[in-house]
Amino acid sequence: MILAADPLLVDGIDLTVVLIVLLKAGVAFALLLVAVMLVIWFERKLISDMQNRIGPALAGPWGILQTLADGIKLFFKEDLLPTRADRVVFRLAPYLSIIPAFVAFAIVPVGGDFSDGGDGTVSMFGRSTFLQVADPPVGVLFFLALSAVAVYGVMLAGWSSGSKYPLLGSVRASAQMISYEAALGLAIATVFLSSGSLSTHDIVVGQSATTWNVLATGIVPFGIFLIAGTAELNRPPFDLVEAEQELVGGFHTEYSSIRFALFFLSEFMNMITMSAIAVTLFLGGPAGPIVTQRVAWVWPLFWFFLKVMAFLFTFVWLRATLPRFRYDQLMDLGWKVLIPAALGWFLLIATLDVAADLGWPTIPVVIVGVLVLWGGASLLSGAVRKAQAERLEEADRGADETAGSASGLGEA
Amino acid sequence: MEVAVFIVSAVVVLSGALGVLLARNPVHAALFLVQTLFGVAVLFVLLDATFLAAVQVMVYAGAIVILFLFVIMLLGVDRADDLGIEPIAGQRPLAAVVGMSLAGLLATVLLVAVDGLTGAPAGTPIGDAGDNTRRLGEALFTDMVFAVELTAILLTVAVVGAVALARRLSGPMQPLPVVAIAEVDDDPDEATGDDS
Amino acid sequence: MLGQYLPIVFLIVLAFLFAALSFFASRLLAPRSPNDKKEAPYECGIIPGREAPERFPVRFFLVAMIFIVFDIEIIFFYPWAIAHGEMGLFGLIAVLVFSLAVFESFVYLIGNGALEWGPIRREAQTGDVVSATRTTSTTVSRAGIRQVGLEGRTGGDS
Repeated sequence: MILAADPLLVDGIDLTVVLIVLLKAGVAFALLLVAVMLVIWFERKLISDMQNRIGPALAGPWGILQTLADGIKLFFKEDLLPTRADRVVFRLAPYLSIIPAFVAFAIVPVGGDFSDGGDGTVSMFGRSTFLQVADPPVGVLFFLALSAVAVYGVMLAGWSSGSKYPLLGSVRASAQMISYEAALGLAIATVFLSSGSLSTHDIVVGQSATTWNVLATGIVPFGIFLIAGTAELNRPPFDLVEAEQELVGGFHTEYSSIRFALFFLSEFMNMITMSAIAVTLFLGGPAGPIVTQRVAWVWPLFWFFLKVMAFLFTFVWLRATLPRFRYDQLMDLGWKVLIPAALGWFLLIATLDVAADLGWPTIPVVIVGVLVLWGGASLLSGAVRKAQAERLEEADRGADETAGSASGLGEA
Repeated sequence: MEVAVFIVSAVVVLSGALGVLLARNPVHAALFLVQTLFGVAVLFVLLDATFLAAVQVMVYAGAIVILFLFVIMLLGVDRADDLGIEPIAGQRPLAAVVGMSLAGLLATVLLVAVDGLTGAPAGTPIGDAGDNTRRLGEALFTDMVFAVELTAILLTVAVVGAVALARRLSGPMQPLPVVAIAEVDDDPDEATGDDS
Repeated sequence: MLGQYLPIVFLIVLAFLFAALSFFASRLLAPRSPNDKKEAPYECGIIPGREAPERFPVRFFLVAMIFIVFDIEIIFFYPWAIAHGEMGLFGLIAVLVFSLAVFESFVYLIGNGALEWGPIRREAQTGDVVSATRTTSTTVSRAGIRQVGLEGRTGGDS
């Protein structure tokens, strides 16, 4: 079997290796910054198209430099530190937001030839390496761990502001992010089932050998990943974190100037990384047909770019189309639909996989599996109905008890 | 290289642990705890226990300390506590006794240990680091399967306990002051203004 | 094997430098003229009325608590998913029993209303929702006492 390890770094580290690593990290860093700039412009332009307006049009051709102009403007804005803020944590929070956003992209394979059993190595200055910044053995778990850390940025930013809207926003945000992290994790578990490895590179290689995971795991985990990913990013329709009608700006209300810019940057960077991870896990990463042999190395990059763009477009499209969820609907969707569905689907796929290994006939296994899942689902919906009925009853009792004082107020 | 990484992460771990003890603000203490947990994760990576390192960050930093922070925010204890009040009678002398005995135990182990402070070198690692998740999976679900199922029961108990603690009290409740009723009913949709 | 993490360390350092230098640049370029009004908690330009809530509903705590349970379950799934090919039926049954226990606690939790948020749903009501006795005066009194939806309904208590 293939082991997760970048061949560049396996046999010792000399100067060339360090330089290549520096180059890769530097390129990824610059690429992310430029990509964020373009994605913000892309979102604004696309959404104004969908809303029948022009959008940014003045800075550069088609307004493409608008983000740059905004960023430079923010450097010249006064940076306020609210009197009631916790000074240390208030300053720390932007770092906790931006560093995971940058680092999470490290595990994404962006290029390399994976067709016809290729293992995606490219040669660079006479060394062979992967076209990804790093390939730690735990791969996707690295991404999950970083998204767990990213919760701190949001949570502490809101808490340290010493102001009510940020606090409410951050409590909501962190509860939302951890809720959907569970669904995200379960959807990813199904991918591990079919790929048998945690490393992103191995997952891409495995998909090019058989079929893309979106089919191998049967669409459902892909859908769950997409929904949970949108919620994890706090993107519309799950952007309760910054529901401006209720919470002003959400957790970063008190942040101004460049500190705000860093939160904004990391938000869009996370969007790019989430798209890239979705492409890696479900859509075969940079794999795709090599059309011409002359500049063969360009094609994987092109396919990767195309797939990521499809996701970015979807995120913007969702924002333009769907109204925001209410908080209870958000929690219900996460806990009562996505998590049980992801869990059930994981167990079904696992059972089918093991049954296929044992040589059991597929159809009866599927029938039994679906029946068991149906039983579990009806048990769960029964529990949901019971809880709702009890809550209604309790509220009615509460209304009876307060009826006396309430009607007294009405007459007065 | 490895020694350097070890020293750096040990400093991170120890300074974080000291911070947990010395920070006056509970949120700062929780953050120092996160720092300690990160240092420990780096130590795990150093030992090629990569899965454990990721799990350390995901579960401890990503879930448990978040729970701590929720409790701190939930109860609004983010201002200076009155240290004069002892919620449990005699907890300070008790803590001193327990702490001293723990320190004594550690010292005894270190002094009695045959191979000195660093201990004997571990046996040669089985398999490669990239392989250790697989081996862990095999070990967990074959040899240690009983312990794993026990964990499931433990989690069930934890859930039951959480529900029992958070359950609404039955029986007649004190009526709210009239002003409070008007305010609560103002925004029934806002989840944080919830009536529980 | 530590070499595998070298690029990550580089990237962390780069990201940190980027943030730190941005702050530094902002410090050099931005004007600084703070005053009490700018540094007060944001309240859309008016004087803050209500304080931030000191306590939050216990459900947030429950969500974090349940998340720990699921996180641990997922953590157990990962190594199993990686190694499930070698363990066959025994491993499958082990993981099914494990998930059954967790699922059961999940159903208990939901059944006890630990994850019930938001407004109470009154979907069960059928038939006449608005009673014939509802008049202008009852509507006015209804608005006055803020018990929206209870008065003027059949089966209500007024």
